Amino acid sequence: MVRRVLALTSGRIAVAVLLVIALLALLGPLLAPQNPLAGSDNALATASGAHWLGTDYLGRDVLSRLLDGSRVSVLGSLEVAVTALVVGTLPGILSVYLGRTFEWVTLRLTDTLVALPFLLFAVAVIALLGNGLTQAMLVTGVLVSPLFYRVSRAATLAVARAPYVEAALISGASLGWTVRKHVWGKVLPPIAVALAQTVGTGFVIVSSLTFLGIGVQPPAPTWGGLLASDLGYLDQRPWGPLAPALLIMITVWACNLLADAIRDVYGQAGRALDNDRKARAHHLARTAPAPTGGAS
Amino acid sequence: MSAEQPPAPPAEARTAPRPVLEVTGLEVRYGRRRPPVLRGVSLDVGPGETLGLIGETGSGKSTFARAVLGLVPAAAGSVVIDGEETRGHSRRQWRRLRRSGVVQYVFQDPLRSLDPDRTVAESLTEPLLVQGVTAAEAAERARAFLDQVRLSAELLDRLPGELSGGQRQRVAVARALVTEPRLVILDEPVSALDSANRVQVLEILKDLRARGTALVLISHDLGSVVGVADRTAVLYQGELVESGPSADVVNRPRHAYTRLLVSSAPTLHGARTDRAGREALRAQLTDLSH
Repeated sequence: MVRRVLALTSGRIAVAVLLVIALLALLGPLLAPQNPLAGSDNALATASGAHWLGTDYLGRDVLSRLLDGSRVSVLGSLEVAVTALVVGTLPGILSVYLGRTFEWVTLRLTDTLVALPFLLFAVAVIALLGNGLTQAMLVTGVLVSPLFYRVSRAATLAVARAPYVEAALISGASLGWTVRKHVWGKVLPPIAVALAQTVGTGFVIVSSLTFLGIGVQPPAPTWGGLLASDLGYLDQRPWGPLAPALLIMITVWACNLLADAIRDVYGQAGRALDNDRKARAHHLARTAPAPTGGAS
Repeated sequence: MSAEQPPAPPAEARTAPRPVLEVTGLEVRYGRRRPPVLRGVSLDVGPGETLGLIGETGSGKSTFARAVLGLVPAAAGSVVIDGEETRGHSRRQWRRLRRSGVVQYVFQDPLRSLDPDRTVAESLTEPLLVQGVTAAEAAERARAFLDQVRLSAELLDRLPGELSGGQRQRVAVARALVTEPRLVILDEPVSALDSANRVQVLEILKDLRARGTALVLISHDLGSVVGVADRTAVLYQGELVESGPSADVVNRPRHAYTRLLVSSAPTLHGARTDRAGREALRAQLTDLSH
C-alpha cells in the first residue's frame, strides 16, 4: 500500500510533510534554539536574528515553543486517532457477524456517543480524573470512535453477503478466515481514509483543548496554546498567530491529502491499474507478444 | 412431495449406489409468518448423475441450492449429503462437512462470485488452503485444474475484472472442482455465456460426470438443461411439479407448467399459434393455483 501511495504525487507530498512533522515531534525539543519556558524582558518582539519568529507576551521565544510543543500536539492527535480506531473498528466489523443482540447494543452505544458533545464531555472527564492530555485524548478518541464503527460496519455489510464470501463459507472457511481474506481488504481502505482524516481532526481537537487550557498545564507549550496566547495580543502583534495556525493547517491538510491518496490507490480501479502496469512491464521484458490466456 | 406422481426413474439410475444427495420433504421459509418458499420438495441425485432443476424466477431454485448448502435453514424435511443428515447441523458441523470438500456450488454470477481483489490463483487455492493443504501443493493443484477447464496458466495472476465472462465462469467452475467434490450444484452455469463458451462449459461438465461427480444444474431455461441432464425436475411456486428422465419431461410433459415451458420454445407453427397455446396453458395454471 505504501508503495502505491508513494506512486502518486499527492501521496508523496503528504508523506513528506508528515515526515517533517514527525521529525519535529521527535527532535523538536532538541532543535529548540532557546529554553521554551524561559521568559525575558523582550516581550512581543518582532522576528529577528535572535528570535526568528519573535517572542510572546512573556518574552519567550516563539520558535522554541513551537518546536517544543510539537511532540504533545502530534502524540495527542495520534492518541485520538488510534483510540478511535481500536474502539470503533472491531465492533463495527463484528456487528455484522455476531448476531442481533451485539448489533443492537453496539449501534445504541454509538448513537449515544454521537449525541455527546466531545468538548463538554472531555471537560467533565478531566474534572473527574484530573487535567492531563492522555485522559483528554482517550476520552476524545472514544467519542470519535463511532466514525470508525460506522465506516467499518458499512464496508463489512457491503461484502458480508457477497457471493465470493459465501463461496469461501461453502468451502469451509471460518469466520476469522473470511474476515481476514475477504472482508478486511475491503474495509481497510475506507478505514485508512478515516484514520488519516481523524489524525487531522485530532490536531484540531488537541489545539482546541489546549487553546482552552484543557489537557496541558501551562506553561508547557502546544500549538493550540500558542495560538490562544497570541490571539490576545493581536493589536500589538497581528501576525503572531500566523506560525502556529499555519503549522496546524499544513498538518491537517497533509493528513487529508494522504487520506485522498489512499482512497485513490485502493479499491478495484487502483489494483487493476497496478496489474495492467505489471502486465505491460512483463510483456516489454519478453519483447515478444505474449499469448492471450484462455480462448474467448 | 409433488402435485403429480413422477414416473419411475430409469433402472440404471436406481441401481446406482447410495445417492450423493437425498432431499425429502424440504420446506424453507424466510420468516415464520411468511408462506414457505419451498414446500415438500423431494429428490435425489446419484453418483455420476446429472439432475436438471428447472423453474421460473422466484420458483425457489436458488433457495433449494442454498438450503442444500446450509446457507438457509430448512423449516422441515431432510437433506442428506453423501450419507450425512445435515438438517439441524451446527455451524461447526457444517464447516467440517464443507471442509471435506464433498459439496461445491457454482454461483449464478461469476464476476460477483470471485473476490475482485484476489487473483485467480488465490481464488482457486482458497478451498484447498481451508482444508489444510500446503500452499505449494494447493498452487500445483490449482494450476492442474485450470488446465482441466481449458484455461491458460498465465491467467493465474489476473484479477477477475481482467477476465472475459467465459473465462470467469470457467475459473468459478475450476474453484468448485479443485476439492474434487462428489456433488456440484451449478446455478445457471451457461445462461450468461455465448455459444462457444457455453459448449466449453458443457464439455467440462461432461468430463465431470464421467468421473462420477453428481451434478445439479439449476436453470430457468429448459432447453439449456435437458440435453445435459439425465433427469429433470420442474419447480413451480416452490413445489416440485414434475420429475423424470429429461426426454420424458420434454416429450411427454404431464404438468401444465412443464407444458408451458416446453411450448415457450419457438416453433415453426408461427407466433400466433404458439401464443394461443401458451395462453391456454396459463389459464390452466391459474385454475390449478386457485
